[in-house]
Amino acid sequence: MENTYHVGMADLVVVSAPAKLITLGLGSCIGLVIFDPVAKIAGMAHIMLPDSRGAKTAEKIGKFADTAVPTVIDEMIKKGASKARMKAKIAGGAQMFALPDAPTDFLAVGSRNVKETTALLAKAGIALIASDTGGNKGRTVEFSTNTWMLTIKTLGKGKADI
Amino acid sequence: MLDLSSFNNLQLDAIREVGNIGTGNAATALSKLLSCAIDMDVPRADLVSIYSLAEYYGDPDATVAAVFVRSLGEFGCSLIFIQNEDDSAMMVDRLLKQQFGDSLPAELPQDMLDSALAEVGNIILSSFLNAINMLIGTKHQITVPGVARDMLASILQVVASIFGEMGDMALLVNTELRMGGTDRHISGNIVMLPDPDALELLLRKLQVL
Repeated sequence: MENTYHVGMADLVVVSAPAKLITLGLGSCIGLVIFDPVAKIAGMAHIMLPDSRGAKTAEKIGKFADTAVPTVIDEMIKKGASKARMKAKIAGGAQMFALPDAPTDFLAVGSRNVKETTALLAKAGIALIASDTGGNKGRTVEFSTNTWMLTIKTLGKGKADI
Repeated sequence: MLDLSSFNNLQLDAIREVGNIGTGNAATALSKLLSCAIDMDVPRADLVSIYSLAEYYGDPDATVAAVFVRSLGEFGCSLIFIQNEDDSAMMVDRLLKQQFGDSLPAELPQDMLDSALAEVGNIILSSFLNAINMLIGTKHQITVPGVARDMLASILQVVASIFGEMGDMALLVNTELRMGGTDRHISGNIVMLPDPDALELLLRKLQVL
């Protein structure tokens, strides 16, 4: 019987198989999954923002790409995963609203999240084997350690596995 | 920069009153537009954890329609008009029927519906904002509205990421409008999200800082 974990905004969860990791309603946020199919360990983070440098204190580790990515990797290694076998999948990073005539840096946080998360994975030497990012629709994602597939549900578009 | 966690009740009350003035004006404008009576609630000014914004409004998974505008100028803020999908569809239908009467085709393309929704949202949000700028004596410019239909949780991540840059709390001025005149009321929420420096300006002008 697999356990189901709901990963809330800015949360980070690392588990051993069998497990299902779910995160609801990703808009500009990123659902990051890293897994080691041999050690059967997976981690998910619900990343809100690219960069923790402007943050004050005692923030959640999963909130920022630059704190979430290394922490998921470390927690997985602590559980017995090997960094060399780790693979990653990401979904999210949409821009929900577009304002044609305004500076929209703050609305484009989704694409900055994608860019930063992708760069951090590359820096850590972890292969990003699948991604579904950008656009203007929210996504609900589910990762199963039975199949190592990330199932993405988008409103009006149905389900897709990556 | 203002620390949201150190807000006192007097300040929240002052902001709530600002919300009240804005909502009154928005209700009047909407009432004229739709030719019906509009009820409004007493607004709330709440400090909410950015991690539970969706729960604050309802079911994170529910489909909602939202109109977003930015106010540029001295009093910078973001404003969202957010409704259940059904309420939004009924409101748009009422507006279009009023404009086009019986000549309105049964099936309209989505972009036309979106554009009608953007227009109603724009009227509500700019009336809201006009009243506030009048009150505190600032000039503003409002952007063209953006429309989204999606999961509540996804839409509110816009709010979470704006406030998330600064901390863990969001200040929301929240009010509900109810449109009468049919067998079922149509509801919608106005959410005002002042920028931090705008918030400071607002509190100063209201003499509670």
